[in-house]
This record gives sequence, structure tokens and C-alpha cells, in this order.
Amino acid sequence: MKIAAFLPELIRHLFKKPATLDYPFKKIAVPKDFRGTPFLHPELCIVCKACERDCPAEAIEITSINEAEKRFRMTIHNDRCIHCAQCVDSCPTTPVKAMEMDDLHEIAAFDRHDLKKSWEYVRALPKRPAAPPAKPATETAEKAGA
Amino acid sequence: MAALKTILYLMVYPGFLFLFVYSTFVEWFDRKVYARLQNRMGPTHTGRAGLLQPIADIVKLMAKEDIVPDKADKRVFTALPVVGLAVVLTAGLLLPVWNIDLAATGPISFPGDLIVLLYLLSLPTLVLFLAGWSSTNAFSIIGGTRVLTMLFGYEVPLFLAVLSPAVLAGSWRMAEIAAFYRAHPLLILPNLIGFGIALIAVQAKLERTPFDIPHAETEIVGGTFTEYSGKKLAFFRLMADVELVVAAGLLATVFLGGFGGSVLPAFIQFVLKTLFVVFLLSVLRAVTGRIRVDQVVSLAWKWLAPLAVLQLLIVILIKGFAL
Amino acid sequence: MKFQIPIGPQHPALKEPISIRLTVEGEVIKDADLRLGYNHRGVEKLAEEKSWVQNIYLCERICGICSHSHATCFVQGAEKLLEIEPPRRGVYLRYLVSELERIHSHLLWLGVAGHEAGFDTFFMYTWRDREVVMDLLEMISGNRVHYAINTLGGVRRDLDETLRRKILEGLSVLKARSEYYFKIGAAEPTFLARLAGVGPLTKQQAMDYCAVGPMARASGIDRDVRKNDPHDFYNEVEFDVATSDSCDVLGRTVVRIKELFESYKICEQILQKLPDGPIAVKAPRRAKPGEVVSRYEAPRGENIHYIVANGSDKPERLKVRAPTLANYPATIEILKHGFIADVPLIFAAIDPCICCAERSVELVDARSGEERTLRFSDLRRMANDRARTLSLQRNVEWPL
Repeated sequence: MKIAAFLPELIRHLFKKPATLDYPFKKIAVPKDFRGTPFLHPELCIVCKACERDCPAEAIEITSINEAEKRFRMTIHNDRCIHCAQCVDSCPTTPVKAMEMDDLHEIAAFDRHDLKKSWEYVRALPKRPAAPPAKPATETAEKAGA
Repeated sequence: MAALKTILYLMVYPGFLFLFVYSTFVEWFDRKVYARLQNRMGPTHTGRAGLLQPIADIVKLMAKEDIVPDKADKRVFTALPVVGLAVVLTAGLLLPVWNIDLAATGPISFPGDLIVLLYLLSLPTLVLFLAGWSSTNAFSIIGGTRVLTMLFGYEVPLFLAVLSPAVLAGSWRMAEIAAFYRAHPLLILPNLIGFGIALIAVQAKLERTPFDIPHAETEIVGGTFTEYSGKKLAFFRLMADVELVVAAGLLATVFLGGFGGSVLPAFIQFVLKTLFVVFLLSVLRAVTGRIRVDQVVSLAWKWLAPLAVLQLLIVILIKGFAL
Repeated sequence: MKFQIPIGPQHPALKEPISIRLTVEGEVIKDADLRLGYNHRGVEKLAEEKSWVQNIYLCERICGICSHSHATCFVQGAEKLLEIEPPRRGVYLRYLVSELERIHSHLLWLGVAGHEAGFDTFFMYTWRDREVVMDLLEMISGNRVHYAINTLGGVRRDLDETLRRKILEGLSVLKARSEYYFKIGAAEPTFLARLAGVGPLTKQQAMDYCAVGPMARASGIDRDVRKNDPHDFYNEVEFDVATSDSCDVLGRTVVRIKELFESYKICEQILQKLPDGPIAVKAPRRAKPGEVVSRYEAPRGENIHYIVANGSDKPERLKVRAPTLANYPATIEILKHGFIADVPLIFAAIDPCICCAERSVELVDARSGEERTLRFSDLRRMANDRARTLSLQRNVEWPL
């Protein structure tokens, strides 16, 4: 049992730089794939409403503005969002997802209604799967067999 | 002329204004050293390098709402912070801050002023106990009883430890003790055990870790200070800061040879020596954890008191054989 | 003279509201009474209204420190009900985050114990080192708390080679610091004087009061869900169960530090043996009717989730038994024979996660002041009756 066992470490720390950062004058960069706030690429959205269904916080709202023109409005309520990125995972569009997370985390505002983001867009067409392979090879084989 | 000098002494240096400014500086120094030892920054933003932080804290407290509990004794409750601050400021006046004429005795330096200073430093403990008692709050009462229980522990070793250099110097007057050690600097060494005991006992008197049980935040909320808020709490905090300066000054005077020369060199020595003592107290605060009140008393009587008696024996032997 | 000291609901020693009433004589505690319910949020009821995927995020938010434990326990049970099996790589990544979370939780606890004992320097050092783990978890999962790395059928994010190497580096730094704390921190006399002999719980008492986790392991009971009931992963890694025989708060500290070292071992084995392959399988939306009990060794002890499915895409019932709730009876028993100065340490030694434990409800009659506890089945019946008579609105404006 040593008296003042921590003492050498303590004195050493007097000459080291402090481990705390002078925030907000100095900030650390967030790592890659940090889950910030969600946002939409409106030109890619096919309005499948999977994100709206899967959001745990009911933060995504998709409403139809014009049935004929297929215009929709998506509103993301950033004050309800829990930043889980489930909407990004649920979005089925390939190769680029329509929902994406950016790395903004200092989004505090005085009024929660300032934190809503909206997009109005026309529904994009879902991408068609690749065309089936050409038939001629089997037909010639049948003709030869027949 | 003498009246003007007295007023300057009382109000400016080393009186009210100087003690107020210097004690906030010492609190800044203590917090900064404590933070750096823990690899943190400490006060940084208020003023240059956070120097104005303690003053900002006191100004903020003065502006807050002042609540007196219903069942508390209003007169005692209100008077105690003022009395506590007055007591430690008076104690600060007794420190010999420059070359005092050793032949003449006056109201600030006389044979026995060491005992008066120690007595004045014991009064804040009583003030804290009464503060806890008059708050009529379960947490404050426990805090108050803990303050008194600790007093049973550290008071005797402190007195014995401070006594030894006085015995070696052959005087009860702090100015003479300081002058003696300035003349014979090597005689500071036999008193090192006493210095160590006095550091630990002073840490207990000031209620800093490892002895901050009376206001242990995680156990009894605020202890004696639970019900105090606003201006009264500001006065208590100022009292704690000035007490730190006075205790550091006492240790510097008695163990480290005091402050000599005319006003300016003595001022520099005062600052340097008290900051050295405060640095040691901060390291002691950072290196240990809080111990229980019964462990304080048993530590004091099992270790500190016998070591203080040993120190006294050493001093008597040296005085008998050498001088 | 006898005094009643209330610790809580608001108290600087507690991070969450809980009410302990202590009857004291001087500095000795004669009796203790615990009141729960200040942090009750209705999580179990809300879980019946959310789909399986949404419930993962809900279960995560039962607690902040042991968020991954609740999510993993739920996902283990839900995967059984949905009859899917996650791929090996997904399982390894899931439990890698589990062990990293255990490391972060134990470092946090060491700091909290130091702070409760008045040893603020120890608190600052352990929390500075905890930043290393939090940064690693942020790189893996995208967030420092609430990792949300689980999904039905596996995990959501993968590990690449640079990240794997960074984790190994971070672990070696942490190992060196933990060894330092084990050698020196546990030898600091003022710290030891506060921990040794405090809060004794004999082995028989621990078994009678059903203590779990480090609380039981510090009394010499060799019980760990990872060894007793390894959910298809823990029997593939080698580690020991950390126990101690001293039965007091010092024993609990030692057990947690030893568990830190075991977690480093497990993490390194995972990173070396990480298999290739996909990280998740696609999960169906509906579960066949059935029930499952899922157990998991959270940093605080054994976490149990009981899930009932009724064929739809929402669970029929979710019941959470968090480890802290199991440790409360033992705590009351320990508190009855201690000093006031030891209360924060005894309470901190069970590593209370009070928001995990808030599942019981006590009703006080407003007029007569008498109290009665309602069984959960009665409450459910009353709530369901009421819900059927009122019509539910879906897009209600959320109150501020």
C-alpha cells in the first residue's frame, strides 16, 4: 500500500497538454459514416413509403399534393428524428439510395418548427430490371431436335 | 499621518482590498493546478486564462435569489456569513507582511499573536457548525456535527505542529519567529515533520479533500451550506478563500521564514511563499480521495498527534544541546 | 436520536431519480426503504404499438449506457420468433460491439465509484480513457451512445481493414491504462479505506436475494450468462468468469476491472477470427405466434427480455427484466447495516441503471393515503378496455 500512489502521474500531467478541447472555439471532425440528419434526393424517390413505415419516431411524412401529376411532398421532422438511419436502410432504390444521412450534428434551434425540412417533387419511375436474354439459341436447338 | 497609514493598512494592503483580490487569485491558482493535475483545462474563458472566474462566481452568487428557510432562526442564519468573513479578515491582518519593527509592539504584532491567529482560525469552524444547526435541515445538521467531529481530530496536531518552530525560535510573536528563521535558514530543516503535519491539519481545517466530509456533495447534498444561497453563500465562499490565504500565510510565516524587507520585496516573497504552500495543498487535494469522519479522527490521533509530539521532542533536544 | 434522511428523488449522488428513505441514528443506518417509479416511461406498452424493426430502436433507448444490451437481447429473441439466423460475420460484429460496450460501461463505473468516494482525480482519468472506446464505437457505428448497429437478421455496418487495425491499437492503449489502474488505483490508501469492508453481502445472502452480475460474482458466485447460456457465440471464444471472494465493494471493483481484461481478450479474439461473408439476412415482416425468453449478460448483470408474438408485425407483449431491478433487494439488505457515508458507494457498487429498472407501478389512493400495488395483468386489462372505447388518432400533434 503506497502513500499517494498517483503522485508521479499527477506531476507528469502538469507538463502535458490538457486532454480537454477548447470547444466551441476548436472542434473535432466527425468520423466517416457519422449519423447526422437525414435528407432526401428528390429526383430518385419512388414514393414506396418504406421510410415512413419504418421510422421509429414517426418523423417522416409523405403526402400527395397532386394525384394526376404524381406530385408528393416529403417532410422530415428533425425535432422528432432520433438519428437512427433506419430510413436509409429501408430505402430500396438502387444504385444510389434516395435517403441519405449527412454529418450535421449542431442543429439546435430555438423553435422546434424551424427544424422541419420539406421537398416537393414528382415521383421518379422505379428502375426496370435488366431485359431477359435473347431466345434464338433454344429455338434453333428445338428445330434441330424436331 | 498615522491614522491614514492605519486606514491604508486596514482597507488596502494587507487589509480588505488586497485580501479580497488575492484570495480570488489564489482560488484561481488552486483550481488551475487541480485541473492541470487531472489533465483538464481549468478556468479558461473568463478574463485572460480564466483569472476572473472566481470573481465572476462571487458576482453571480451575489445576484441570485436569497432564500431563508421557514423554520430557521433568521437572525443567526443571516449574521453567520458576515461574522465568518469578518473573523478571517481580522486574522489576515495579523500576518507580518513586511519588516515589522521588532522592538515596538503594536496592535498587529505582539507576543502571543500566534495564539490569537490560531484562535481566530478556529472560529470559522464554530461558525460553520452554527450555520448547519440553524438551518434545521437534516443534511445541514449532519454536516454541522461532522465539522465539530473533525475539530476533535485535527486541532491538537495543528497547534502542536505550529508550536515547534515557535519553541525553537524562542518567541510567541510571529514577526520574531519569521526573523529568526530568516537569520538561520538551516534551522527550517528540523521542522519539516511539523510542516507536513501542519499541511495535513490545515487541509482538514479548510475542509478540502481528503477531509471535505462536512460538505460532501455526493452524500449530504451541501452539508452545512445546503440552505444557503445568494449573497450569504457568496460570503461563505469568500470566507473559505480568505481562510486559505491566511492559513497559507501562517504556514509560510512560521515554517518558511516569513516575508522580510520593505514593502515591495516582502510582497513578492508573500506571494511566492503562499503560492508554494497552496500548490502543495492542491496536490494533496488531487492525490487523495475522501475519507470517513471516524477515519479522520482515528488518523489524527493515531498518526498526526504522536508525530507532532515527536517533532516537539526533536525541537526541544536541539534547543537544549545546540543553542 | 432517530432521523429519517431522504436520499432522492433529487440528490447529487444519484444520476437518476429514485427515492431511498434511510432511518439513521447518528451516522449508523438502522432501516432503508426504496421507492421506485420516478422514471417510468411506459416503454413496454409502447413496444406493443411499434413493429419489430422499430422496437429495436425503442429497446435501445431504455438505457443510455447499456443501450446495446437491450437492443441485442431483443434482437436475439425476435430473430428466434421470426425464424431467421444471422450470418457468422454479423454475429461476430454484434458481439464485438457488446464487448466494447462492456469496456465503456466498466470504465464509466470506475469513474463514478471514484467520484462517489470523493476521489475526483481517478474519475477524470478513467473518463479520459473512456474517450478512446467512445471514439472507436463512433467509428464503427456512427454514434457514441445508442449505437443502433443491430438489425433483424444481423448488423447494419461492416468493418474494413483500417478500422480493424484502429480498434486493435485502441485496445492496446486501453489495456496499458487498465493495468495501471489495477496496480496503482486499487492501492491508493484513501480509496481503499473507503472500499474495503464496506457493504458486505455473503454468498448465501447473494443467492437468497437473487443478486446478479458483478454484485453476485464479488460474493464468490460463479454465474455468468455468457458461460451458462452462450447464445451461439460465446462458446467460440475463450475467456474466464471474473469472481472475487471478498464480498464487499472492493470485491465488486476488482471483479469489474478483471472483466475489463477479459473483454479485451474477447475483442482481440473476435478481431483475429472475424469470418468473411454477409453481415445480415433479410427478415420477414410478420412473426408466427409464439413466445421467447432471451437472456443476455449486460455489464450490470443478467438482462431478460420476454417477447410474445401473435402473428402480426407488432409484438403482443414485451417484458423487460433489467439487472438493476434484480439487485435492489440485496441493496436494501446491505444498506441496513452501514454508515451514511457509505450509502453512495454501496448504491454505486450495484452500478444502478435506474431507468432500466423502472417497470413496476405503485398506486397510492389520493383520499385515504393507502398504497396498493397492481399486478401488471390487471393494469393491461384496464388499459386495453379503455383503449377499445376511445378511438385512436394516428397523426396527433405532438405536445411540446
